[in-house]
Amino acid sequence: MKDNYDLVGFFLSKDGLLRSGIIGVLEGTPLEESASSLSFAVATFAVVNVVFLLLFFSQFAILWIERKAVARMQDRYGATTALRSLWVGENGVTAGEWWNMLPFGLGKPLGAVNKYLNKNFGNRDEKFATVDRVNNRSWMGKTIVPGFFQNVADGMKFLVKEHMVPQRADRLIFEVSPFLIVSSTLLILGMIPLSSGIYATNPDLSILYAIAIFGIAPIGVFFAGWSSNNKYTLIGGIRSAAQLTAYEIPLLLTLLSVAILSGTFNIIDSIHFQHSAGAWNLFLMPLGAVLFLVTMIAEVERVPFDMPEAEAELVEGWWTEYGGMRFGMLFMAEYIRTYAACFLFTHFFLGGWHLPFQGTLAALLGDSLNGTIEFFPGAIMTLVKSWLVFLVVFVWARFSLARIRTDQILEFGWRMLLPLAVLQVVLALVYRLYLFNPDGMSGQNDPVGGAAWDAFGIPSFVPIVTTVFWLAVFFVYLNDEDKSVNQERMFHVHTDKPAGTVSPGKE
Amino acid sequence: MAQMWITMGPQHPMTHGLWTLRVKVDGETVVDTDAELGYIHRGVEKIAEARDFTQITPYCDRLCYVSAMTWANSYIYAAEDLLEVEVPERAEYIRLIAAECQRLASHLMWLGAYGPDIGSLTLMTWCMRDREMFLDLLQELGGSRMHYNYPRVGGVKRDMPVGFADRLVAKVKLFEHRIDEYEMMLDESTIWLVRLQGVGYAKAEEMVNAGVSGPNIRAAGVNYDVRWAHPYSVYDQVDWEPAVEKPTSVKGADCYDRYRVRMEEMRQSCRMMLDAIEKIPGGKNTNYANGDEMILAKAPTRAPEGATGFSHYECTRGASQFYIQGGGDGRGKNPYRLSIRSPMFITIPFVAKTMIGYKVADIPAIMGSFDPCIGETDR
Repeated sequence: MKDNYDLVGFFLSKDGLLRSGIIGVLEGTPLEESASSLSFAVATFAVVNVVFLLLFFSQFAILWIERKAVARMQDRYGATTALRSLWVGENGVTAGEWWNMLPFGLGKPLGAVNKYLNKNFGNRDEKFATVDRVNNRSWMGKTIVPGFFQNVADGMKFLVKEHMVPQRADRLIFEVSPFLIVSSTLLILGMIPLSSGIYATNPDLSILYAIAIFGIAPIGVFFAGWSSNNKYTLIGGIRSAAQLTAYEIPLLLTLLSVAILSGTFNIIDSIHFQHSAGAWNLFLMPLGAVLFLVTMIAEVERVPFDMPEAEAELVEGWWTEYGGMRFGMLFMAEYIRTYAACFLFTHFFLGGWHLPFQGTLAALLGDSLNGTIEFFPGAIMTLVKSWLVFLVVFVWARFSLARIRTDQILEFGWRMLLPLAVLQVVLALVYRLYLFNPDGMSGQNDPVGGAAWDAFGIPSFVPIVTTVFWLAVFFVYLNDEDKSVNQERMFHVHTDKPAGTVSPGKE
Repeated sequence: MAQMWITMGPQHPMTHGLWTLRVKVDGETVVDTDAELGYIHRGVEKIAEARDFTQITPYCDRLCYVSAMTWANSYIYAAEDLLEVEVPERAEYIRLIAAECQRLASHLMWLGAYGPDIGSLTLMTWCMRDREMFLDLLQELGGSRMHYNYPRVGGVKRDMPVGFADRLVAKVKLFEHRIDEYEMMLDESTIWLVRLQGVGYAKAEEMVNAGVSGPNIRAAGVNYDVRWAHPYSVYDQVDWEPAVEKPTSVKGADCYDRYRVRMEEMRQSCRMMLDAIEKIPGGKNTNYANGDEMILAKAPTRAPEGATGFSHYECTRGASQFYIQGGGDGRGKNPYRLSIRSPMFITIPFVAKTMIGYKVADIPAIMGSFDPCIGETDR
């Protein structure tokens, strides 16, 4: 369903403020004839920039989310546990008290809340006293959102570092490949809508385009690994090429099944489809969702699939030789790719900008009230969903799993994911051809969701059965895993005699 | 693909110290290796010839920066053998507790470093968190967190502070739960298992022939623990048993065996400490003054010419041996010769050859599973 925040329409419509203003200014000048197309160009430029800035700056949130979540997951009491350190000072004394520096006593309520939190949940335990003192906790509360601008500071640090090229590197390729990687990564963002009215471009084949652009960066990675003239980078580059080849194909097949199910190659249309048909794709193809996440983690090279930059044996993999802002850009590109992967998952499987169960909610509220749903900005829903996907899948996996070996990654990709992806394509075809009821589709502007997946008179029969089935498969697989062998090995540490029956040295 | 030599080290994440592993690879497969040691040789054996017997202890602390207490203890037993000192039993118990605390701290350091080797970053911070508990305990004893200089010829520097016993018991009991937590995280992760199982096989007889000792051979089923076979100190009075793996493959012990045996050894250390703190003579909550005869026996400072002292000690990484010949300097105040047998000096070249045939990605997994420490290797 379209929401009320139509940024593109606002900028691009001829009656809109921007275009009518430009046309008015150009009236009577020699450019009058081309005023319409000129104003269109300016408006497009403006839209693209606004959307890009929105996407780019919201990206800092995932860096921040990762820092904070990881500090919790790793049980770390260092400088990055800033969420907690907002109210935990040294031995329970409220940290920083920056709110007292705000003008007109604006910070007084915040101070009171902090004092309350500190009193009730604060750290009065002496065992952290040393830690707090060493980490200088009392400084930590002084930023607005603790630690949020740490990433900006890191970027500034990269900016002032020297750019070095190894003496025997292939200089041209070495310099070009970061730009190849970063620019192709930024182009992905062009395809990603934030809501029905906030997007940079919307070509008909945007799914294909986004995936094609995703596939350009590996070439840059391989160039970077080869041109650095370093054995670590060479191995990293080759690993990256092998891994991405193995994972691109299941990824493409998964997206093909999304396209088959939605009947479109357009991202925005596929989101509209999920609302109109009455169920998110997640519930129709859970297998596809899992495949998409696994292949995407491999695609963006994060743990457990970060073999190309395995720091234990390859130092830093293919980007070992990069320093300064080149390294910073590569780092940023990796996170943008991750962010784009989260967005794509949100759009393909989690219904994009729609609220959870929005169609049902609208039906429950009735005609008089369901218009209120439109006032909820869809862009915020998209962002929240993407951040949650990042937190729950990418961060959680990264900090609880180990790294797989190259041959195991390839075997997993070719022998497990590829057949499953083919199976998913077949399933999607069956769903679309035999289980899908086109008469049940609701219109794009209809707040009430459709009923295309009903069967036997039961609403949402197909998604419910599919989800239950795949959950059952998942649990059976979990229990059926060859645990007995592992458990035998786990508990087979033995001593010959039971404790206490023999004393040492007497054997 | 053409073969090439890759130099890993002296500064490389895999090395856990300062040494060089040169690896010849064919694609991703290791076909030859070459270990180069000696980057931090400090000449401890030579320095010791100009120090008296008490002054040598801090140097032995610095032999291994991860397990200083066991190395200092190891030296002290040789010195006591040389000077023929009878050590009070309370001091022996305190030494045992200190050494086992150190063993836990060292194994936690190993596990913490092994996690990033395999790619699990969380393991590092969890282990550092728990290691902190035992470093705090050691700090209460020795006053320092890394190099304690705690044992003395004839006893220990000072008694346990009041309340130490309660804190020890509380921390050890907490840590026993934490071991379960680690195993929950690691052993139930398929990735952890496929990275460790079937990788880095080392046969028991080959290891024994090479002189490898400690947890590394116990992982292959060799029931040899110096604390059990030749009990020194009061290891024959406390309740424990050595952690020995049942051999699972004819090819020997893999990385998973070595990981399991160290986890079990941590459990046994906990058990030992809990028992020792109850059995300690003189009461667990009493604090004797420095130099009291309960904790420090009178010891001569000079050893006659021709006298020798020897200790065989289970360090955290294997069996360490000290051999001291007295009567140096003509007056007997210094050792004439001090010789150190380091388990890791023997193990590292052996491990380097173990890697042949495995993948490049297995190098840190195999190397880390043997728990290298370069401080004691280069001496």
